[in-house]
Formats: sequence, structure tokens, C-alpha cells
Amino acid sequence: MSEAPLIVCADDDEDILSLVSLRLERAGFRVVQVVDGEAALAAVRAERPALAVLDVMMPKQTGYEVLAALRADPTLADLKVILLSARVQEADIDRGLEAGADAYLAKPFKAGDLVAKVQELLGG
Amino acid sequence: VTPKAPPMASFSPSTQASPGLTGRVREAPAAWSFIAVGAVAVGVYFLLPSHSKGQSIYYDVLGLSAVGAVYVGTLRNLPKGERLAWHLFSVGLLGEVAGDAVWTVYQVQLNRDPPLPSIADAFYLGGYPLLAAGVFLILRRLGTQTSRAAVLDTVVIFCGVVLVQWVFFIDPYNHKHFGTEGARLVSMAYPAMDTLLLVALAQLLVGPGGRTVAYRMLLASVGLWVVADEIYGLNTASYQGGDWLDALWLLSYVIWGAAALEPSMARMAEPDRRRLPRLTNTRLILLAAALLTAPAILLIERARHDSVHSVAVGLGGAALACLVLLRLGGLVRAVEKAGRAERVARRESEQAQRLLTYQNEQLLELDTLKDEFVSSVSHELRTPLTSISGYVDLMLEDEHDAQKRGYLGIVERNAERLLKLVSDLLFSAQLQGGRLDFERTEVDLHRLVLQSVESARPRAEAAGIELVLDAQSVPPVAGEPVRLGQLLDNLVSNAIKFTPGGGRVDVHLSLRDGLVRFEISDTGIGIAELERERLFERFFRSQTALDRQIQGTGLGLYISKAIVEAHGGRIGVHSEPGEGTTFVVELPAIS
Repeated sequence: MSEAPLIVCADDDEDILSLVSLRLERAGFRVVQVVDGEAALAAVRAERPALAVLDVMMPKQTGYEVLAALRADPTLADLKVILLSARVQEADIDRGLEAGADAYLAKPFKAGDLVAKVQELLGG
Repeated sequence: VTPKAPPMASFSPSTQASPGLTGRVREAPAAWSFIAVGAVAVGVYFLLPSHSKGQSIYYDVLGLSAVGAVYVGTLRNLPKGERLAWHLFSVGLLGEVAGDAVWTVYQVQLNRDPPLPSIADAFYLGGYPLLAAGVFLILRRLGTQTSRAAVLDTVVIFCGVVLVQWVFFIDPYNHKHFGTEGARLVSMAYPAMDTLLLVALAQLLVGPGGRTVAYRMLLASVGLWVVADEIYGLNTASYQGGDWLDALWLLSYVIWGAAALEPSMARMAEPDRRRLPRLTNTRLILLAAALLTAPAILLIERARHDSVHSVAVGLGGAALACLVLLRLGGLVRAVEKAGRAERVARRESEQAQRLLTYQNEQLLELDTLKDEFVSSVSHELRTPLTSISGYVDLMLEDEHDAQKRGYLGIVERNAERLLKLVSDLLFSAQLQGGRLDFERTEVDLHRLVLQSVESARPRAEAAGIELVLDAQSVPPVAGEPVRLGQLLDNLVSNAIKFTPGGGRVDVHLSLRDGLVRFEISDTGIGIAELERERLFERFFRSQTALDRQIQGTGLGLYISKAIVEAHGGRIGVHSEPGEGTTFVVELPAIS
């Protein structure tokens, strides 16, 4: 049996970061937690995860900026990205998807929705 | 003979006070009748034996009746204090009549013409300044001819008239033989006095635009008088009493009298308060004529091989040139002033434009700030709610103690309520900003209604309410499924919320006249008629809802209505307090 897929989770709110990680770990994924945009970028480059869950409003670099940097890197073409944000207006969602996110989930999220979306993106 | 108590003075007060339309229509015949009778009388004058005593007396009577008409008309048409100009006419014309009378007396009593000079000349010559003064008073009262430019124009015309009068009418007497120096001076005084009337005539010609009948009559009478005088001046030697020229003077008398009788003499012209006189054709022609007098005189005298009035023409020409320069200077200054005023106006308009643009930008900025504020408040509230819901969820998965599960359920429900409130606030802020645009897809309302009703069923059952669904399959509508779902959820949960236990909620979906009709009836507390109008207002809550402490924000129906209208549909309500409420939503179906 191959190793479980690795997911980088980035959120400056540690309660939410723990919650997301816990839900993904219960669903059988391995999780790396980071608390800002720069760390997220570094973690993705170092760990080469299958998927990243990025909060939009983060210190140092926003989720949009991290996403733009990731999409600019051809070696990360396979990486899936989910934006997770409390900004729920249509404009925010459109902006996230246009920036290259594979999915945009609104906070508060349902645990089932998050896991289902991750599994769908990772083809499992 | 001075006319005393005017015969028609009895109806003077009303006509003085209001020279209105009815007054004019009723009174007009007085003036025109006077002209008609006068014209016949003038005709009769020429039927009388020419140069006879009878004709001479008849002439005086005609003149006197005109003076009487001027006097009577003045009393009838003008209030006290405004009669001076017309009284000057009365006296001036009376002077002319008196002169005529002196002639008649000489002819009837002494059988000869009066000597030159005689008392008749004193009366004649005394009349002219009074007539001219009357004209100038009237024009002054009308408010025209008072600006510097108008005065200059008057002086230009005056110069031209003086030059012509001097060269052709006055100076020739210097070269004629007279018995006495007095006779010469009196003969020269007549054309000199005509200068006054000529200038008065010119001023009347360039006077105000909106002239009344009386004004035109006055213009005609002054004109006739001056023309008669000038023709007489050129043919002094050949003139005899009873000459056709008398017709002009007599008609002038008659029309002068008619002008005074015409009620419009109280106004004379529409008010004209222009600062600069208008350069009308008449004014231009008169000014051009005045300016051309000097060269014209030179040419005429040259052609006639007369001795040239070089001094008079030289002085006159120089004076006219100076006046033209002054007038031109005034025009240039006026143009410059207008230019300055225009520049100032343009600057002010540009400033106003800039201010407006700035304020617009500020408003836009404020609008953006408000949106950002709402958006970030929503964000700040959602973040802790995420943790609350998420961890309560986790605990519910792990907790098996029924009581604790019940408590956690309460926390979860309230977190959901708070979340809905935050969402509704954010949405209503968007609505306030006037932005509700969404992508439209084909939406199956039948499926949405089923979903909405089924998700509400546990709540209905918990409250002991019977939830009945009667949904036909309907054609799709064009819309946004999330918003339409929100609309249905709002209406279904409202119905359950306001219906007491044991009640019933009926949901119908049907197609009627090309409209998809969603109808939801409850057996709830109902809505008072007065409150129904305000039901869809933002933050409105009914008194019953407040009294019974039914929870809500007053946003649900406001948002519902906005969603319906954004889909081109309409929402309505019927209600009986205490019996129930029915909401009806109609949305256009895609055919």
C-alpha cells in the first residue's frame, strides 16, 4: 500500500488550522501545518505535497499571492490547490478561481464537504 | 380757450387703474373714432374756399379739438403724477393753436398777415421745446436711451440734424434780405426748433421694441409735423394758407389727440431695461445717415455749385468723428468686459466641475469603503464561527451522552443562526449597494421546492406542524439556484416559524399563464393589514412577532423580495390575522 497523500495546510488561525488538519488526518491524509503565506510556499517547495489548502487572508503572503507563485512554477504543475476563506462574496470566489485554484471553499465549511472535495481532486 | 371739466372724466378711475384687455377692447374706438372723424374733418377743410377766413377759423377749431383730446385722454388714461409729459403736449400744441389763432385774428379783423416777428411766432416757437420735452420725458420713463451708448447715439444724430438744418434751413436766411434783424432771427429760429423735434423723432424711432398703438400714433404725429415743417422750410416763399401741406399738420394734430385717447398710452411700450441699446436696423440707418451728412452736404453743394459750408461741415464732421470714436471705445470696452465675464464664468464652471468630480470620487471611495467594511466584518465573524461549528461537530461525533449531545445541538443550531444572520447582513448590504447580478442558468424549481420542503420537514414535525406538498412539475426558470433555494428556504421556514403547534403549512407549485407559481399557506398568526405594506422592508418585524418573541432579523422577506425581483418575478401576500397567511411567488418560466 502506497503512502497516504501529503497535504500542506496554511492558516493563520491556529484553531481552524488544527480543525482542518484533524479532519484531513481522520480521512487518512498526511498533513503539514503552516501559519503564513511564506511558510506555505516554502513547505510546498520542500515537501512536494499532492494538495495545498490555503487560507486567503494570511500574513506575509496572502493565499492569492501564494497561489500565483505556485502556478508560476512549472515543476508544481500537478499540485492541487483549495482556497479556504471567510470571504464569500461572488467577487472573491471568482478571483480565487481565476487565480488558478481548483476549488474555493467558504468558511465555515462542513467537514464532509472539505474531505469530499479533497478526495475528488486527488482522484480517490 | 382752455377745455375745462372733461366730459368723459366720469369713468376715468377704472380705466386708469387697469388698462387691461377688456378695457382696451371697450375703449379702443375712442381713439380710432377720433382719427376717423378727424380725417373727414381734414377732408372738409379742403372743401372750404382756399385761403378764406372761414377756412382759417376751421383750422384753428380742428387744432383746438386735438388739444382738447390730448387733455381729456391724459386725464382719463393716466393717474395723477404721471401726466407731465402729456400735459407738455397739451400746452405745446395749444401754443401752436394759439399761433394759428393770432394769424386768424389778423386775417379776420385786419385783413392782412401778421408782421414778422409777431406774437404768433412767440406762441409757435414756444410750443416746440414743450413737445420735444414731452417726447424725451416719455422715453426716459420707459427706461430706454439712458445708457452712455444711447446718449452718444442721440448726440450723433443731433449733430447730423444740426448740420443739415444749419446748412440747408438756417444759414440760407443769412444771405436773404430781411426788413429787420428780428425777422431774420425769428425765421432762423423755426428750423432751429425743428432740430429738437427731429431728434425727438429719431429717438422715438430707435425707442423700445414692444410698442403700443399709442406709441405708434405718437411717432406718426411727431413724424408728420416734422415732415410738414421741413417741406415748409424748403418752400417758405411759395406756401399759402390752405396749401396741401396743411393736411400734414392737421393730421398730426388729429393723431396726437387720438394717441392721448388710446388707453395704451398709459404704458406706451413693454419695459425694456437693456443696458446697451440694441443695434436695430432703424438705429443703424439713422446713425449712418447722421454720419453721412457731412460728405453728403459737400457733394450736394458741389453739384449745385453753391458755396461750400466748409467751416460747418468741418466742425460737424470732426464732432461726428469724435463721437464715433467714443462710441467705438464704449463698444470695445463692453466686448472686453463681456470677455472677462465669460472667462470668469468659464473658470467658475471649471471649478464647479472639478469639485463635482472630486465629490464623485469621494462618494465612490466611501461606497468602496462601506463594501470593504461589511465584507471584513462578515469575514471576522465567520472565522470564529468556523471554529465553533467545526469543533462542536467533532464533539458531536465523539459524544454518546444524550444530554450532552442535546446541549451541543443547541450550540450548533445557534452557530448556524448566527451564520445565517451574518450571511443575510452581507447580502442585504450588497442589495443596498444596488448590486445583485448573477449568472443565470436553467433552474428546476420543482426539485428546489422538494429539497427545501424536505429539509424543513424535521423542524415542522418537531413543532407538531403538518407540512403538505403539492408540487406539479413545471418548466425551468432562468436564475441562480443558490439564491432561489435561499428564497424558498426563507418562505418555508417563515411559515413554520409563525404557525403554532397543531397547525398546517401547504406548499403548492404550479404553472399558470406562463408563470411558475409558488404558493405557501399557513394557519399561523397572520399579519395585520397595516403591517402588510411594510412587510418587505429591511429590518421590519411585525408587532405579533415581537410580542410572541419569535426570533428573526427582519431581513428574510426583504431579501426574498429582492431575489424575486432580480429574477423578473413578483411576490405577494394575503393574510387574515389569527387565521393564516399565504405568500405567492410568480417567476417567468422559460418557454
